[in-house]
Amino acid sequence: MYVVETDNLTKYYSRGKIKALEDFTLQVEKGKIFSLLGPNGAGKTTLIKVLLGIVFPTRGSAKILGEDISNAGAHSRVGYLAENHRFPEFLTANQVLFYYGKMSGVEPALLKERIPQLLKLVKLENWGDTKIRKFSKGMMQRMGLAQALSNDPDLLFLDEPTDGIDPVGRREIRDLLKNLRDRGKTIFLNSHLLSEVERVSDEVAILKNGRLLQKGTVEEMVSVKQQFTLQLAEGYDLLQALCAELALPLVSQNGSFIVSVRDDAQLNHLIDKLRERQVLIRGIVPRKITLEDFFIEVVEDKEVAAP
Amino acid sequence: MKLLAIIQLTFRESLARKTFIAFFGLSTLVNLLFLFALNLDIVDGAESYISLFGKEIDQAFELEKIVYGIESVVAVGLFTGGLFMSLFATSSLIPAFLEKGSIDLLISKPLSRFTILAGRYLGAVAIVAFNVFYLVGFSWLILSFKTGVWNFGFLLAGVMIVLTYAILYALMAFLGVTIRSGPFSLMITYAILFFSPLLLQREAIYALLSGKFWGYLLDFLYHFLPKTTELGNITRMLVQHAEIASWLPALTSLLFGALMFAAASMIFKRKDF
Repeated sequence: MYVVETDNLTKYYSRGKIKALEDFTLQVEKGKIFSLLGPNGAGKTTLIKVLLGIVFPTRGSAKILGEDISNAGAHSRVGYLAENHRFPEFLTANQVLFYYGKMSGVEPALLKERIPQLLKLVKLENWGDTKIRKFSKGMMQRMGLAQALSNDPDLLFLDEPTDGIDPVGRREIRDLLKNLRDRGKTIFLNSHLLSEVERVSDEVAILKNGRLLQKGTVEEMVSVKQQFTLQLAEGYDLLQALCAELALPLVSQNGSFIVSVRDDAQLNHLIDKLRERQVLIRGIVPRKITLEDFFIEVVEDKEVAAP
Repeated sequence: MKLLAIIQLTFRESLARKTFIAFFGLSTLVNLLFLFALNLDIVDGAESYISLFGKEIDQAFELEKIVYGIESVVAVGLFTGGLFMSLFATSSLIPAFLEKGSIDLLISKPLSRFTILAGRYLGAVAIVAFNVFYLVGFSWLILSFKTGVWNFGFLLAGVMIVLTYAILYALMAFLGVTIRSGPFSLMITYAILFFSPLLLQREAIYALLSGKFWGYLLDFLYHFLPKTTELGNITRMLVQHAEIASWLPALTSLLFGALMFAAASMIFKRKDF
């Protein structure tokens, strides 16, 4: 079941001068952590805003939790942490969670039970009676996360959730998101921190100029097909000679060799040849790149490819 | 319940503003003055001694007239100064909640946009009603208990003041949603408040105008805009139990308020944030 579905979703601003989203089609499965990546102004926040009815699409359609985005009723099962969110500063942390939880349709009695748990979850349990105007940026971010969870949502939209949070806090949030995913919740994440996204996401989409460039699992994105890193105890000259003989591209990198093969049979053929010549192989590892490398590659590639 | 949450939040937000604290303090002061400064000594249903601020009041006055007079002063004071302060204190409520990071959160809740705007509007009206009735209600009780003159017209005057505020705040809501500037919407609303007496006297102005067009324009403005001067007169007449010649100014002003709120809702419903 898809919890987020868009069909040719398009959003123009300033009478078409700014194309924030262009024929954007996407499906997000239930129980996944889905991350949206893209350079500044790619349309990531606009997409979330369209899905939540904060801005209206120019054309196309979208559904969240099986309901059309025009139906605000579906929001009772949705949590949202906005980028640069603002709560009334005269309220305490407890009051913020109470009022915003109530607006989400949670019964006051249930909220009174849930608020201490939420504050504990985001490590603000000792700050419940403190006015939020005294909170640091990181604390406000945790507060926003607690608010987004106040209605125990099935679908959580988080726009830059780790913004302003220290590395320890980031790891705690990562663990929290994984825990929520394991409980069957779907998390839709917007983040600039690619290393964070890589660690936590099941699926990633890359967006640029309002268009979807790539979508897939993190594993698919970071692994390079048919490229292997070979680590040998000796015999590098022999490897170079064999690769030249078999017409296999070979690149040296940090004391290892990266070989590109057509298929698994060709890789095994190369290994057989090396072993025949008594070359000691220490390791053969499928080549992986970081998500950041992949992201830059995709974004720049499409930039070059664009007319 | 969700609507109530927005109303409560707006109420609290207003309560945190210094203007309302000042309003509340002034109301308390007036109530305390009535409680301690006005001394009445009534014998066999007729006052034998009345003093205000320690000075004896002329016995020739009828007690009822004195009470109506005091209540009129309070009502007129509230209608002018109270409305002025209330509009000032609530002018930024609509533009503030439309700011980025704030409105996004509200729209992400399972609330229709109409409910969000209505909640905000009703929250502002509720805080003003609370302040007005704190002063009107308590002073009415104190005066009624001390004099035995139970003037329900004074309570109706309180309703009229809140209603006038609600009409003017509908205009501020419209301007707030459209222009998103608290000071600008406040200026326009004050202008309407202050030009209302001029529009009422428009027939005297016709002679000074160069063409018929200006006359028609003044007529249109008079009929279209809220008639705050007449609403003020109705408020005073309610306190004094005087006969109200026509309720039409109140009805047309209400219509203006409803129109402004409907327009604000329509714009808010279609706006991107």
